[in-house]
Amino acid sequence: MNKTLKFKSSKTREQKLFLLIILILLVTFFFSLTVGRYELEWANILKVIKLKVTNQPVPADLFTDDVVFWSVRLPRLVMALMVGSVLAVSGTVFQGLFRNPLVSPDILGVSAGASFGAGMAILLVGESALAIQGFAFGFGLLAVTLAYQLGRRCRTDAITVLVLAGVIVSALFTAGLSFLKYVADPYEELPALVFWTMGGFSTIVWKDIVMTLPVILIGMLILFLLRWKLDIMALGDEEAMSLGVNVTKMRFLYITFATLIVASSVSACGTIGWVGLVVPHMARLIIGPGHNQLVSFAAILGAVFMILMDTIARTISGGEIPIGIITSFIGAPFLAYLLWRQGQE
Amino acid sequence: MRVLAVENLQFYYGTSLILDEITFSVSPGSICGLLGPNGSGKTTLLKCINGILKPAKGRIEVNNVSLEQLDRQEIAKNMSVVPQQTYTVFPFKVVDMVVMGRSPVLEMWQKPTLSDRADAVKLLTELSIGHLAERRFNEISGGERQMVLLARAIFQDTKIMLLDEPTSHLDLKNQVKIMDLVRSVAVDRGITTIMTLHDPNLALHYCDDVVLLKDGCIMDMGEKNQVLFDENLSTMYELKVNVEVTRQGKKVILPESWQEKNAYQERSLPYEKVQ
Repeated sequence: MNKTLKFKSSKTREQKLFLLIILILLVTFFFSLTVGRYELEWANILKVIKLKVTNQPVPADLFTDDVVFWSVRLPRLVMALMVGSVLAVSGTVFQGLFRNPLVSPDILGVSAGASFGAGMAILLVGESALAIQGFAFGFGLLAVTLAYQLGRRCRTDAITVLVLAGVIVSALFTAGLSFLKYVADPYEELPALVFWTMGGFSTIVWKDIVMTLPVILIGMLILFLLRWKLDIMALGDEEAMSLGVNVTKMRFLYITFATLIVASSVSACGTIGWVGLVVPHMARLIIGPGHNQLVSFAAILGAVFMILMDTIARTISGGEIPIGIITSFIGAPFLAYLLWRQGQE
Repeated sequence: MRVLAVENLQFYYGTSLILDEITFSVSPGSICGLLGPNGSGKTTLLKCINGILKPAKGRIEVNNVSLEQLDRQEIAKNMSVVPQQTYTVFPFKVVDMVVMGRSPVLEMWQKPTLSDRADAVKLLTELSIGHLAERRFNEISGGERQMVLLARAIFQDTKIMLLDEPTSHLDLKNQVKIMDLVRSVAVDRGITTIMTLHDPNLALHYCDDVVLLKDGCIMDMGEKNQVLFDENLSTMYELKVNVEVTRQGKKVILPESWQEKNAYQERSLPYEKVQ
């Protein structure tokens, strides 16, 4: 009797945490809508929404509010929400899959590979969203496969070896991207390339969301459906096999879809580091390591984290700080803290 | 009826021959011990039986079906494995570990239901470790971890159970506890059990049949009392070993050197007693 009571209370604890994080997401989202270089007032936001919904012409005094809300801030926030979720979920999947709390899409080279692929697409095909995503996906997959195979070849201490393999692969593709910049036509292609590699959400328009949302939704949905088996994958190949899991097939699925969503987000807003490493850890500390809850929780937490980071990036100084700087400032010390904490245990 | 049969199995690791001409079968409901010195191929054989390692030659049959015709999910519906002490990178809850035993009957997009979890807690309670259900797997003791892994194998609800050194890293009390449990579970539920063991005394006490492995080949096999005798054991371990009989008439296997008179008796050397 006592056991079942305890069991139930832990269920409601998880439900409460989910409720809380959703609430925080809503508050963060609506708060971030109002702040920025141009302060939007709540009353005005409601007015421009009402005008849009009822399809009425915008009066002159609300013109700026209308443009800032509909064309600048809302798409930007939606994208930040999506990308935060994507990076957190793919980080969670990679960490569970490789039984390695130190990996993330950026550390495994997925982001660097995808960036290189996207750069290739810009040079070869031009700025076609479909080509950029396709190339980003192909090279992201190539990068993570290389890192994984390289890490597997060495039988010693797999945790750090996989991280090193990722560092090697990342270096390769980062150099490749620099080479692309070097050979790019300085008047036509180079600005596009540089503009894109700067990353961040400052250039996001609705078209970017329309182009990436389907891919991201499908990838996220599949990873969400497959989330429970990650617990078993995290025990190691042999144990997973003896529990009836087709390890090769599942690994292929996890890697493919985790890479797909990262590639899609990279194609829209470049590489944003640390989120995929840090958010899964935070989520694990709060909700526990079981992937059943962890994947969904990390998705929401990632969205909150990214919206906050973006809001800081665009409000903390007069100009806009590249968001990668902010995420590194938060992420690097957090990883240091994790290492320190692990050393304590 | 043969629940499990191994026929003329040969296994290479790289170019070195690990197992050769392994042929044996296990009768339904019996407990079979795999004995052999270190490096004799016990664990490799167990992994071949589970289909994790692919033999170069020979076949393994489960309920008269060749293992090659079964996919991972079907193999896991037929046999469960209690691995050697595992450590998990992520500190899953004990109940989460046990509920993983449901994996073979779930499709890849499915997850265990709340009633599966309740069943897992019930099983843990039956094994009198219900109090561990909400604890973290990494935080409990080695003996408790082994019990949890056994619970997971039971939860998998298979007719065959494989155990790899179930007593390694365990103290005497926990060795006895886990082996008593394995024996009673196997008998009560009619699970055909195969386990690798280091200690021939455990085989003598808990197994029905034994297979003796030496240098990757079967040296002898059969009912334990007919196989576990002085000469056989001495040849296998390359150590003079005697089977003695206790006052209650139970057999005990002891190295001969322990029984020599004055062997390590009352040291007369000047050693200092620890204060």
